[in-house]
Parts: sequence; C-alpha cells; structure tokens
Amino acid sequence: MKDAVITVKDVDAGYTSPVVREISFDVYAGEIFVILGGSGCGKSTLLKHMIGLNPPLAGEIRLMGDRLFGVSQEERLRALRHFGVTYQSGALFGSMTLLENVCLPLESFTDLPREARCLVAEMKLELVGLKEYACYFPSDISGGMKKRAAIARAMALDPRILFLDEPSAGLDPVTSAGLDRLILHLRDTQGVTVVMVTHELASIFAVADRCVMLDKQEQRLIATGSPAELREHSEHPAVRAFFNREG
Amino acid sequence: MEISLPETCSAETVAELWRSALPVVARLGEGDKLALDAEAVVTCDGAGEALIVELYRRSARQGFAIACRDGRGVVARTLEFFAVERFAEDSAAANPVRKTSTAVQLGEAVVHIWQVVCEQMAFLGEAATAFATLLFRPGRLRLRDTLLHFERAGIDALPITLLIGFLFGLIVAFMAAASMSRFGVEVYVADLLTIGLFRELGALITAIILAGRSGSAFAAEIGTMKVNEEVDALETLGLPPMTFLALPRVFASTLALPLLSIFAIAAGLFGGAMVMTATGLPSTVYWQRVFKAATLSNVLLGLFKAAVFGLLVGLVGCSQGLHTGRTADAVGRAATAAVVGSLTLITVFDGIFAVLFYVLGV
Repeated sequence: MKDAVITVKDVDAGYTSPVVREISFDVYAGEIFVILGGSGCGKSTLLKHMIGLNPPLAGEIRLMGDRLFGVSQEERLRALRHFGVTYQSGALFGSMTLLENVCLPLESFTDLPREARCLVAEMKLELVGLKEYACYFPSDISGGMKKRAAIARAMALDPRILFLDEPSAGLDPVTSAGLDRLILHLRDTQGVTVVMVTHELASIFAVADRCVMLDKQEQRLIATGSPAELREHSEHPAVRAFFNREG
Repeated sequence: MEISLPETCSAETVAELWRSALPVVARLGEGDKLALDAEAVVTCDGAGEALIVELYRRSARQGFAIACRDGRGVVARTLEFFAVERFAEDSAAANPVRKTSTAVQLGEAVVHIWQVVCEQMAFLGEAATAFATLLFRPGRLRLRDTLLHFERAGIDALPITLLIGFLFGLIVAFMAAASMSRFGVEVYVADLLTIGLFRELGALITAIILAGRSGSAFAAEIGTMKVNEEVDALETLGLPPMTFLALPRVFASTLALPLLSIFAIAAGLFGGAMVMTATGLPSTVYWQRVFKAATLSNVLLGLFKAAVFGLLVGLVGCSQGLHTGRTADAVGRAATAAVVGSLTLITVFDGIFAVLFYVLGV
C-alpha cells in the first residue's frame, strides 16, 4: 500500500460559489500528479486551496497528514514547510538576484549561517542548471530560466511536495521539454512528489504518472488515471475531446 | 579532528555543526586529517549536502585529508551529484552583500538626475507636440477618458478638499484673531484670510491634495500598464501613449484643480466665519470684508496658479508613469517620484509666481 502524501476529500473549490464540487483524490509519495482541464474549470482554484492561499468552500485537504486551515499558526507553519510552490509567472522578486531569491526561504526558516545559505542556494541553482546565473537579476534572464529559478527557490527547504502552476505556460516546446526533464530529474533524485496544474498535452504525457480531469460544465472531477489510460479508454466526451482534440 | 554527522542531516541539525566545527576545520592544513563519520546518517537534505560539499571543498583548498566512514553511501552520493570542483569558489564571497561607496552613490545620483532631466525635457517636447496636434485634430482627444479622470481627480476629491479647506480656514482665522485682537483689528482677519486663500493657500493646499491623490495614481496606473506591456500594445496599434494615456489625465488635472481650489477657498472662508462669529464679530461685517478683499485680480491670480499647478501634477504623474521600469518596485518608485516631483515643482513655481506678480505689481 502506497503512502498518500496529499489527501483531498469532498472538496468544493471556489471563492464564493463552487466552481467544482465534491473533489476527492489521493496523491502518493514520489508520483507526478497532474490536475488538468479546460480554461475556467477550477484547476488553479483547487491548487490555491491545496497550498493554503484560500480555504475550500467545503471538504478537507491534508498534506502529510497536516491541515492548513482551522489549525494554530504553529501547525500551519509546519504544514507550509512540507511543500514548495512555483507560480505561472515564476514570481521571482525583481529586486533580488537569483541567489538571493533562493536564499530567502533559508533566511526565514533556518538558522544556517550566511555562507551555508549561499552554498545551499548555489547547489539548488546547480540542480536546475542555473549556477552560472546566480548573480543575475530576474529581468536579465529568459522565461524558461525564470521558471527554473522559481523551482530552485521552491526546492530551497527540501520540501516533500512540489506544486507547479502551469510550468510550461508561455514557453517554446524545446524549453518546455527541458523543464519536463528537470521535473522528472527532481522526482528521481530528490524523491519529491510533484503536483502540477497544466493543459499542455506534451508535458502531461512526458511526466505524469497519474492525472485527474475537472470539467467546467459538470462542475466535478470527471476522470482519474494515467494519461495513456484516459486517452485510450475514457468514454467521457470531454476527456476524449481534450486528449484527441475531437470537437 | 572528527566530525560526526547526525542521523537526520537537516538545516536544524547542521546549523549548529556549521558554527561549531567549521572554524576548527579552517585551521587544518596539509598533513592534517579530518575523520568524517557519516555512518549514522539516515536522511540528508540540502543543508546536510552543503556541509559535505563545504568540507570537501576546504579539503581541496587547504590540503588536509578526509577519512570518511560512509556505510550508507550518503557522502558518496552527494559528491557524485554535486561535483566539488564546481563549487571551488566561496559562495558567500562570490556573491557579496552589495555595498557601494558614498562617492559611487553620489556619482550614480548625479547621472540619475541628469537622466531624469533629459527624460523630462523629452516628455515635455512630446507633450507639446501632442497638444499642438490636438489643436488641429481635437477629435483625437479621448473625451470619455478625460471626463473619467476629471471625475476621479476632481469630483472624488471634493470631500477631502472641503474638509481640509474648512479646517485650514478655521485654524488660520483662530491664530490670526488671537494675535490681531491685541491691537483691536480682528476685523481684518477676514481680509487676511480672503487674500491668503485666493492668492496663495487655496491653490497650494488643493495642489498638494491632488499630487498625493491623483499624481501618484496617474504614475501607478500608467506604470502598471507599462509592466503589463499595455503601453507597448498601444504603440504597436499606432496609438501614441502620450495622446491616449497622458493628455486626458493632464487635461483632467488642469481643469479639476482650479474648480477644486474654489471649493477649498469657500470652505476655508466658512471656517473663518465660524471662528470670527464665535469671537463676537457680526457675520455681515465678516462677509462684507471678504467680498471687498476678493478682488477680480486676486480671484483670477489664484485660479491661474491652480491651473498651472494642475498641469504640473498631471505632467509629472504621467511622465513618471511612462518612464517606469518593468518591475513591481519600479511602479512604487514611480508613484513616489510623482508625488515628490509634483510638490517640488509646485513650490518652485509658487516662488516664481510670487516674484513675478510682485514685479508686475499685480
């Protein structure tokens, strides 16, 4: 029996009224799990509930057994240490170099001396292939490099779970494929569990072990399985349309 | 010397080891030996890996040998993954805390000021050209946007302008009455307040309010549009940002400020009336003195100054917005610069007007 590192149970996702209802799934240790669906189906909203930015309208989400809402500040901080997040734009701080960006969580959450923090940050940048750009500012590097640097920052505290919001958005296919290889590399070498929101088919087939698909019309989770299973065996018209690009 | 790595090599456990052991390691040299015991390590995160790399990096640099007990292969895996020679340079030294000398800062400030002056001159030239074009083709001015900005800069600012104007009149009248009553000339408080508000204070306090409320908003709005590449989109669509974004705001602030200043002056005079009535001066006498002091030249002077101040606030706000960098903090800096720049120019122009009107005998 595999260990579930994330448990989503009967969650209604939305801000004031539910966009999707009664979502339930488990994410297991070491897998790359993709949340997919068309625009406006609630993928990013669900992700925001999972990373603790907004509480779900109903249901419960646990990360490594810990909850992010309805708990004390200490418990919430402990739960926050379980995961790292990268956002669509990268969300790097423009006034800091890449090294300073990666050092930031180490400064906030650890007692490591400065030289130790710098070395850890450099090693994280090496992990994503950006060690030579440590002294660059985000405005001086390309979109793909920003995404890599954001992953390095998310990995700074060695989280068990990595959440990626649309990592391939706005990238060319070659850069996007490089990012997919990096995600696989991080999973294989660092043992990190990856939860990814995307609708890039190439990325989904390249990295995903399992995926769930949300549907805007039905306001629910309509399919679960590996990308190949969904493409080959799903009878749901929305799933078939998504994977086979059928009208 | 011997270093034993703990069972869990995490940031929490490694931080102490880093502080206590590394100063001793720094004293090791050629011929010395460091015993590294990693037998107990079960989990090793980034901080633990950094400590292992740091020890081997120092060994390569200082020449001491490391005898490692690594039954679980944690050290070997780390060194395989992170080649020590890739980290030969001291990370902290390679990425020093940014320090600049006073001379460098001074030089940079001078260059920056020169750049700002050049930018402002270019902006003024561009604005003048756009304005001249509008004279021949007035239809190019976006009237809807101009009215919207007039509403935001003018009508929405009315409550705060009335409040501040009223309190200002009240305070000035109170202080003047206290001093002038000693000489039995408190009746002239009305003249003082009227001339002061019309010629100077009405326009000035309203301009300060407009700079704080709308000047910064103009800079932040246009700056954010620049960050979002909306300004680039306008240019590629063949719509000059100066005509599309700046001129409606500049016209709106130039029109709004004289009107706002009239309300501020009226509120100030009512504040003065309240104080003077309380001191026993009949209100009819007060208002008679007010209307006598409010000569046409005083009124027109105040309105002219207000219009110029409005123009300055609009120009500075839009200029700062259009010259914003492409980061979030650049937008904040542009908003600050818009307020500071507007207030500085308002003060400078107020001084110029004071001298000019004195020379002209107005």
